[in-house]
Amino acid sequence: MIQDNTLAVRRRQAIGLAGAVLGAAAGAVPATASAQYGMAGKSFNGAWPFDLPPTGHYNSYATGNLNLGIYYDLMEMPLAMYYWAKDSWMPLMATAWETNAEKATFQVKLRQGAKWSDGSSFGSKDVVNTFMIQKLLNNVVWRYLDRVETPDDYTVNFIMSKPTTTVERYVLRMNIRPSSIYGEWANKVRDIVNAGKTADSDEWKALRKDVSEFRPKSQVVTGPFMIDQKNMTEAQLSLVKNASSWAAKTVSFDSIILYNGETPTVTPIVLSKEVDYATHGFPPATEKAFKDLGFRVLRPPTYAGPALYFNYAKMPAIAPKAVRQAIAHAIKRDIGAAAALGESAEPPKFMAGFSDRLVDKWMTPDQIGKLNKYEYNLAGAEALMTGAGYKKGSDGVWVSPDGERMEYEVTVPAEYADNSALAQAIAEQLTAFGIKTTVRLITFTQLTPDTQQGNFQMVIQGWGSGNPHPHFAFVADLVTWNTPAGAGPGMAYPLIQKVDALGGEVDLDAMVTASAQGLDKDAQKELISKLALAYNELLPNIPQYERLGNNPAPEGFRVKGWPAVGDPIFDNSPYADSFVIMLMLDGTLQSV
Amino acid sequence: MVAASPTLAKPADARASLFEGWRALADNYVARRIGKAVLTIWAVATMTFFLVRLMPGNPVEQFIGQLIAQYQLPYAEARDQAASLFAIDLDQPVYLQYFSFLGKLAQGDLGTSIKSQGVKVTSIIVAFLPWTLFCVGISLFISFGLGIILGALMAYWRGSVLDYSLTTFGSLLHSIPNYLIAMILIIFLGVRWELLPVVKMRGSMSPGIQPGFTLVFVLDVLFHAALPILTYVVTTVGTWMLTMKASTTATLEEDYVNFARAKGLTDGRIRTAYVGRNAILPLFTQLTLSIGFVFGGSVLIESIFVYRGIGTILVSAVSGRDYPVMQGCFLITTASVVFANLLADLLYGYVDPRVRVGQ
Repeated sequence: MIQDNTLAVRRRQAIGLAGAVLGAAAGAVPATASAQYGMAGKSFNGAWPFDLPPTGHYNSYATGNLNLGIYYDLMEMPLAMYYWAKDSWMPLMATAWETNAEKATFQVKLRQGAKWSDGSSFGSKDVVNTFMIQKLLNNVVWRYLDRVETPDDYTVNFIMSKPTTTVERYVLRMNIRPSSIYGEWANKVRDIVNAGKTADSDEWKALRKDVSEFRPKSQVVTGPFMIDQKNMTEAQLSLVKNASSWAAKTVSFDSIILYNGETPTVTPIVLSKEVDYATHGFPPATEKAFKDLGFRVLRPPTYAGPALYFNYAKMPAIAPKAVRQAIAHAIKRDIGAAAALGESAEPPKFMAGFSDRLVDKWMTPDQIGKLNKYEYNLAGAEALMTGAGYKKGSDGVWVSPDGERMEYEVTVPAEYADNSALAQAIAEQLTAFGIKTTVRLITFTQLTPDTQQGNFQMVIQGWGSGNPHPHFAFVADLVTWNTPAGAGPGMAYPLIQKVDALGGEVDLDAMVTASAQGLDKDAQKELISKLALAYNELLPNIPQYERLGNNPAPEGFRVKGWPAVGDPIFDNSPYADSFVIMLMLDGTLQSV
Repeated sequence: MVAASPTLAKPADARASLFEGWRALADNYVARRIGKAVLTIWAVATMTFFLVRLMPGNPVEQFIGQLIAQYQLPYAEARDQAASLFAIDLDQPVYLQYFSFLGKLAQGDLGTSIKSQGVKVTSIIVAFLPWTLFCVGISLFISFGLGIILGALMAYWRGSVLDYSLTTFGSLLHSIPNYLIAMILIIFLGVRWELLPVVKMRGSMSPGIQPGFTLVFVLDVLFHAALPILTYVVTTVGTWMLTMKASTTATLEEDYVNFARAKGLTDGRIRTAYVGRNAILPLFTQLTLSIGFVFGGSVLIESIFVYRGIGTILVSAVSGRDYPVMQGCFLITTASVVFANLLADLLYGYVDPRVRVGQ
């Protein structure tokens, strides 16, 4: 033991000496600095990539800003955040709201007595100004809004031009900015709108450019935290408590330290037990290391994942739905999911086109019972192929009735290890089934333009959406990478199709658009159910799994109070309505 | 006729004088080298301009891809957001963009960032470059100094245990990529053995430290630069060692060294005045070129240690397709390498008079 210790000391000395090649004496000084800053008080440590000034800045409307992802909701607070499992809201800067169907108006009552960190009062002017600048920036909510009115200081009316239930989420999830910083810009927008200028006018473009280039010197917030501007480094920054916030009292932490970096640079910090929560996509091997250290790994659903897309313009043999159904039966989705993300990949059970977690909220049990689960069944797959007139050649590869030999490539971004592993698993299984498939690796930046332009045969692309309304999932499944998006032919899948389950020909594009329109949610549910049945029968693409987060959340170092596994809060999408932020705001997460 | 002669002769004289001037300039070694350097920079700037635009995806498409991948936004929503946030005209013909770029470049204006609109590329480079110069510059000189000393020792005692050990060591270090060394340092020294506070050592300075000519600031900066410097030194010292060893070994076999020995000069004098000075000459060019590359930073090392530098900003610019920032970073690197090369050419003549005679 004595000898071991001596060796250990020598090793420490040697390595320590090497580590301090040039800054040998420096160790003590930064330790003092660290003690002065960041480590004092009760901190919650997270990680998020950011850019420091001059590239990073405080204009939350412009790219390159220091909004800090999920933590932004703790600064320029939104009107509310959503509980996905309960289908209810956590009121923040709004306290009540309702839709008036007759007047096509969504009315929001605002929190009274709330202050901005610069001392100014929060009120309806801040909300309407925020939405005016969003109009300038062509925010999607303005597709459905006609105007925003403020009957009094704490009431805002959103008058819809195209009534839809989705306006509720667009409005309530909007982060409200201070008029003291952006009010003048909102007035300029009002001026050009009143002058009849439109988004394609030179005045509009010039103002948009000016707003993008606007650089406020400081951040003004309503939330319980604000960036400590004097103490930012490229390695980390701190959010310090904004004592004047209405939400400050319920939050247990004095500060939030955010470490800068993407997955590779953040991983050692997590392993060093310096991070209490991270949303980065950690590979299975890293996740195992977290578990070995006793870290809890949270797996919130993202309501989206990768699917196998086909290019109908380049693969005529794939056109009959029976062939795609056969492929769905021939792929054991568990294999690809396990290879890609281990426990953080969940193969879809219902194949409805949107997350299994939302299916029972939008479809009746009877409708759900009609969904084909496409379980692994090679014999069934063979039968579907032969039933459609396909025959295997002497080399075991399927040949279509038109003579097309089914040999294809599946394109996947090389940099995404999960998608590459998935593509490999699919290729092996399809080849074994008789559809000879090779994996084609491209750089990730090539993926979007290639998919849009139809430069692929099969490709791994996204299905589903991080929005609780399934309309957005069907947009992703059927429209995003297809001709109607207008950016290229994409998968070139015709959206007028004969669907046996619906008793005839349907226009899928029109159904998707209609599924979010109107204020009658029951009517929307009916359309969503029809879309799900159509998607399930046609399988324009084949979802492989739903990606779950694998977020390390070690307990006991600085944070306690994480809810138990299975708590409904963990059904929240980790990015769309971060449960970490909501648990901080309601006081569930506590400092140790 | 007589009166006309001087008038006719004037332009001819001027032309002749211009031609003579041009010829003198062309014959001048320094002017020729400077002209070549400027031409090289223009060629590289032009190639860079077009190459970055040939990369798949433009800034808007990249941003759309990010929004879809990270936030699962529908394409149309992501497109709306991206289009509104980027006030750029990517539809302008490329040749017009090129001439605009050249025009601004001639005035020393590298344009403004696309990702962070309104921010001048020069201000970004000014904010990041000093850190790279400091970190990589110090690393280079330590690595060079250490390398030539060890290399010379290996040559003087070639065949010894020291020689074999250092040669193996040098070859090993030479062959390991710097990002791997960086990761090894972090994982083993920081995470596994907990010998170094790697989390505190990230970045270029600690939170709360005010920049200034104070001991606290200097020590803090050195503390944060220690790991990047160590990585850089470890991964480059092998090259200098092996090159110096080869050069010294060759010099030791020169006739003038044998002659010096025959004259009875001391070993110390031979090693410093005869061998050392001549053996280092081939490394001199390599050093000046390396000084040029200092400006390019070390992209991976800076990224891994989250060190403020030109490499970090280049990675961010490439991933976001921020064309002006990419062009600026590449231009700075190119210009520094070219000018370092030029400097090497010009100074080499003074260091080695034989080259001057050859000219």
